[in-house]
Order: sequence, then structure tokens, then C-alpha cells
Amino acid sequence: MTAPAPAHLPLAGIRVANFGWSWVGPVAGQTLGFLGADVIKIESRARIDINRTLPPFAEGIVSPDRSLQNHAGWASNGSVTLNLRDPRGQDLARRLVEHCDVVLENFGPGVMDRLRLGYDDLRAVRPEVVYVSMPAAGLDGPLASVRTYGTSLCSIAGLDSITGYDASGPVTMENAFADPLGGIVGAIGALLALFHRRLTGRGQHVDYSQQEGVLQMMGPALMDYTINGRVAGPIGNRHPLGVGAPHGVFPCAGDDRWISIAVLTDAEWRALVTAIGSPAWAQDVRFADAAGRRASIDVLHAHLAAWTRDFEDSGLAEELQRHGVAAAPVLDIADLLHHPQYRTRGTFVEVVHPLGFTETIYGAYVKTSRTVPDIRPGPSMGQDNERVLQGLLGLTDDEYSALMADAVID
Amino acid sequence: MRPRPAAGALAGVTVVELGDAVSAPFCARLLADYGADVIKVERASHGDVARTWGPFPGDAPDPEKSGLFFFLNTGKRSVLLDVASGEGRDALLGLLARADVFVENQRPADMRAWGLDYASLPGALPDLVMTSITPFGQTGPCADWNAYDLNAYHFTATGSRYCGYRDRAPLEHGTFSADFFGGYVAAAWTLGALYGRAAVGGQHLDVSTAEAVAALFTGAQNIGAYAQEGRFERRSGSGMSLAAPARILPCADGFVWMIALETAQWDGLRAAMGNPDWAAPELFRDLFERGRNADFLYEMLEQWTLTLPKQEVMDRCQAHGCPTTAIYTIAELVAHPHLAARGQLVTLDHPVLGPTTVFGAPVRLPDCPGAPAAPAPLLGQHTAEVLG
Repeated sequence: MTAPAPAHLPLAGIRVANFGWSWVGPVAGQTLGFLGADVIKIESRARIDINRTLPPFAEGIVSPDRSLQNHAGWASNGSVTLNLRDPRGQDLARRLVEHCDVVLENFGPGVMDRLRLGYDDLRAVRPEVVYVSMPAAGLDGPLASVRTYGTSLCSIAGLDSITGYDASGPVTMENAFADPLGGIVGAIGALLALFHRRLTGRGQHVDYSQQEGVLQMMGPALMDYTINGRVAGPIGNRHPLGVGAPHGVFPCAGDDRWISIAVLTDAEWRALVTAIGSPAWAQDVRFADAAGRRASIDVLHAHLAAWTRDFEDSGLAEELQRHGVAAAPVLDIADLLHHPQYRTRGTFVEVVHPLGFTETIYGAYVKTSRTVPDIRPGPSMGQDNERVLQGLLGLTDDEYSALMADAVID
Repeated sequence: MRPRPAAGALAGVTVVELGDAVSAPFCARLLADYGADVIKVERASHGDVARTWGPFPGDAPDPEKSGLFFFLNTGKRSVLLDVASGEGRDALLGLLARADVFVENQRPADMRAWGLDYASLPGALPDLVMTSITPFGQTGPCADWNAYDLNAYHFTATGSRYCGYRDRAPLEHGTFSADFFGGYVAAAWTLGALYGRAAVGGQHLDVSTAEAVAALFTGAQNIGAYAQEGRFERRSGSGMSLAAPARILPCADGFVWMIALETAQWDGLRAAMGNPDWAAPELFRDLFERGRNADFLYEMLEQWTLTLPKQEVMDRCQAHGCPTTAIYTIAELVAHPHLAARGQLVTLDHPVLGPTTVFGAPVRLPDCPGAPAAPAPLLGQHTAEVLG
């Protein structure tokens, strides 16, 4: 059983019922939780979230409470287990919402209504509730009932059409970028509605279309299309508006080691030329100005790649930075844990889970000077049942036991 | 300083932005979309660097015709200030004295040199929420590095882990991926800090775009496993390796993201294809069995998808419960009835660029709708109005 967040955080006193599942919903809840809200994720053993079943598991012990894959993204959510297929489970959920300021959900359209947990159902018990839905393509419009996966959501937002090496076609992002992004935007929607509630006393049904959150990333492509009629395609690592050259990822010594280098200004070009020892190829008249470098970017990149490949990536980045060149090592997963930049900032933290194992998750990825978040491990199923159902809703011991026996509290 | 007429969830909130390019301007534009009065301070030397990036009509550079600048700065007022001078700094501090939020993405060393870093702000601004958004954040050995979105993005392992072919370079998304993600994160935390300000006071938020992506996206589902097992994965260049189908496939006129993992989805895909004999074997109803036969499976699926337009493939699949979707180009999105029906295309008339279309605000609040409310400002258009 966990205590609510400390009172010094900005959202202290805000309580959230999070019906969200998978990755979007938990991140939306987590964002509000890091800011101090008491976030209660409602889930069920009758329909265990697939994210709880993915390996590897803490200490190799298979259990829905030990999936290391989801614990970081779910951290700082609490958990109450209710079987929402049972009308008594639905009633308890509605009673919980009477005590909540915000409801989050990312089911397909209509699912919450069928559970009698739709906006109208919950507004009836909590008129000023802020209810945030986060469907794939919004609550209305021709695509409202489209079925997608997180990984493929970026297809209908256009992002997949510009990711890839070149005109030969798109290369997929192999995980659901739209999910954590959507969790953040869903939290923005909740916060905006809380501001509005503070001004007016009214709640509302916030409609976050995951397609529309990702769509903003197509802004540069939109402008080139509406202004010049050009349809963006895959551009590799080049500048989205073609401004910089060189602008790419170049090989370094070792297996799968790379460095990113971006040159946008003449001053940065001169710095790069000096840093690499003013080789003869860099004096080529084609590279004398930005327009020439852009026009000859393939030749330029080939020269640069031939030079970088003998260097160690981090040392080379530091050397280029000493000259003022925008360069950085291309990190892999292991580097995230070990790089001094992330170690200094405490990006990843080891926490002791209430079940006794230690796990590494991300901590407060935004550094706050006054209100430092309380980072709590990904929740065990039902870890907040007693606190919420007895402490908050006032179920007696007998009622609680009976509902447990019937697997309504499961 | 006259405040703007108030409407929207953030009515009455005043934001000062000292932003260039994407991350901070995007963050502040989100606040402007929902009613904040955003005063954009552009440095007198050249204005926001996005004014030089385009895209420009006919590719002819003009600081008042940059499409990127327009997209990221709708609904703001522009004030020209030489913040490196004593007078300019004083004027900026005057704006901050009446502001709720200060959003910036300058290099930390520059902010210190200008006396505008959080520690140098006067103690008389205890209620200010200051949000700094940089590639690497305010602390750590890389804090003062010169870096753009590309450098920040590839500092997150996103390309290494998830995007590109294993024998070729890791890939960026093809946009300002870390900047947009970091801008969203900054907006969320800024709103949270502002909401609780009466109780806890103002403060400084230090956002690293790289750290935000490294934590929330790549770190989230990899770091726990790596810390325990000492092993990690790299990009494969396809969708999913163990199960199938889950991959981008070519169609007659483009591509679809083909997914049919659950048995019902696979049966739906078979029905969408007209139940061909090759897909009939019972053992194919197992997603891992399909994964083991992926080469055969994708070859056969391609023979079908290549005969049809992507929208047709999507419509047939969706009608049978298979979650396959078309990969839309920007041209197809602009023409799509869904975005039109949801008011996601907003045209604003700019005095130099003319009528210009941008996307609507990214989250819909029916009781206090947000939207880009005015075209992006001309360079220094509101200097006299705001400072006068």
C-alpha cells in the first residue's frame, strides 16, 4: 500500500482514475503523478494488460507484477483491481470517480460507454469531472473507428511516409513512438481542462486523437506542401528542410558506432574544416558556400564518412565540440545507462520494488528546482486496493472480503 | 504592456518566449493555442533562426515568409530586443515581472553571459515558472555543447534501437523528432508547475529533449531489461521479428502498415484477401508459426497488396477487423476528409505570406476550444505595442 504523493508537489490534492492501458494511458497517468497527483490505475486480473506479460521479468520470476518492460512507463501510477465485466465492479469504479478530478482512458470508442463508465455516466456522479479520452483518431470523424496498433499509428499521421533512407520507401520505427508522446499530450489535455475548471467550475470531455498529436511533427512537411506543393518523402538523417550540409550520421571505429554531425552555418563549416585538419577535399569550390554544400551533399558526406571511420565516436565528438561543431555520439541502449551525461542527471534510477526486487527505471526526466517528484516503481496489481476501496470508499471489512471472494475485487 | 483579450483554458496567462527554431517555439505555441498571451522576444540581430530556414515560396529566402516559422509561431506577438545589451536585458526583465511563464531554448552559456539564467534573475520573480529546453539540459558534461535536433535525437538510442537497417546508419524520423517531443514534455510540465504555483511558488524546469526521449521512449522498455540481463537489442529494419505479419508492405500506389497478429485479425486478413488457398493451413493461425514462415508469408501478401491501392487494402482489412492502415503522405492528409471534419486544417491570412494553412491544436477541449488564433507575427511587429 502506497501513500498519496507528498503535499508539496504542484498537483497535490488532484486525484486521477486511470482506466488507460498499454502504454499511452499509463504515461498520461504517470505525467500527472510525477507532478503530484494521486493516480489510481484501474485494472483487472480477468483481463491482464499484455504489457504486464512481456519478458524479461525481475529476477527471472514470471509474474504480471515483475515485467521489466512496462515498469518504467507505468511508474508512479497506483493500482486498484476491479473486474469491470461485473456490474458490482463497475459500481465501485463509479464510486471511485466520485472522489476523482480526472478520468483517463484509451480504449476504442464506445468501450467505456458499454461498461457504463462513459463521460455521461461519470458526469452523473461527478459533474465537474475532467474526462480525457485518447483514441487512435479521435471521438468523431470518418476515421473514428479505425483500428491501429501503437507501432503503426504513425502511418495515418503521415510520419511513416518521411522516415527512411531515401525515395526507395519508408522504414518503420520499430516501436510505438506515438504512445509515450500521446501520454504526454493526454496529460496536457487534462491539465488544460483543470485550468478551465478552475476558471469556470465546469468539467468536460477532452478528445485527444493520437493521430493529431503526431500530426504536429509533420508541420515542416505540411508547410513545404502548402507553400511549394512538394510532397515530403524519406530523407535519411538530412535536415528536414534541407538547410544543413553536412547533416548526417557517420561511421566510427567499432561495431555499430556512429557520430551525428550537423553543420548549418558557415562558421560551423569553417570549424569543421579546421577540426579535420583542412584536407584538400574540403577546399573544393563546390563546398565554399552553404548552397554549394547542399547541392553536393552526397560527395561531401562520402568524404566525411571516409574520415570519421577511424575515430572512436565519443572522443571525436568531444574534439569536434572543442571547435564548435555540433557533433555527438550516436548512443545505443547500453550507453543510456552508462553515459556521464545521463549519469550526472540521474536519468535512470535503481529503485526497490515493494515486492523486494530492485529494478532500473527512468526517474524525473525533467529537473524541477522546487518540487522534486516522488518516483514510485511500477505498481503491483491491486497494491492500492485497501487504501482506496476501504480508506477512500469506506468498504467495511466484510464487504471487502465478500467482493474479494466473488472476484469483483480481483 | 496591454494583455490580449482573454479566451480559452489559459486565459489570463502571460508567457514570454526567448526561443529559436523548434523546441521552445513549439512549446510556447501550444500555450498560445489554448489562450495564453505569448510574447515572443526575438533577438535584434536576426530574429528567430527559423525565419532563415524556410520553406520559402519558390525557395526565395525572406524572413517574413518562412513556413516553419509560421507553423511554430501562430498566435504570438513579436518583440525585438537585443538581450545582450543592458537596455535589452532590462526590457526583458520588465516583461518577466508581469509574466507567469518564461520559456527559452538558448545555450546555457549564452543565458549566463546575458545574465538571464535562472540564478541571475532578480529575487523579485518568485512566482515565475521558467522553462529551459535544450538538447542536453542545464547540467552534465554535454550541457553547453553545440547541438541541433539531429544530435539530440541520436543521443537517445532511438535510431540505434528502433530505426534503420542493422548494417546501415541509424535513422532520424525525418522531422525535428526530439524537438517536438521535448516541446510537448516541456508544455506538460510547465502547465503542471503553473497549476500548482499558488501553493508551491515558481520554479525552474530544466528540460533536455534528448533525455525526454531517452527516458520516455527508448529507456522505458529497454533499460530495466538491460540493467538486469546485461543484453540489449538493436534495430532490425522490419516491424516485428518473432510474429507476423507486422510490417510495411508496398501497394500499387504507396505503402500500408500491415498488422494481423491476433487470430481474429489473421482470419480477417484472410477474408479481406478472399480466403486464398495459401493462407488456409491451420498452422498459420498461430502468430509465431507465421513468424517462422515470414519470408513465404510476406511474399504472398505482397502479391496481393501490389494489386491494390493502399486505401483499398486498408478499407478491406479494417472492414474485416484487421488493423492494417495506409501510410498517408502529407498531400493525402491535407485532402483527407477526416482531418477536415475535425477542423485540423486552419487557414490564417498573413500580410506577407498570404492565406496559409496549418494544423489545428493537438487536443480538443469542447468547452474551451483551442486553435491557432492569428498568423505568425512579423519581425518585431508588436515591439511598440508591448513595450510602449
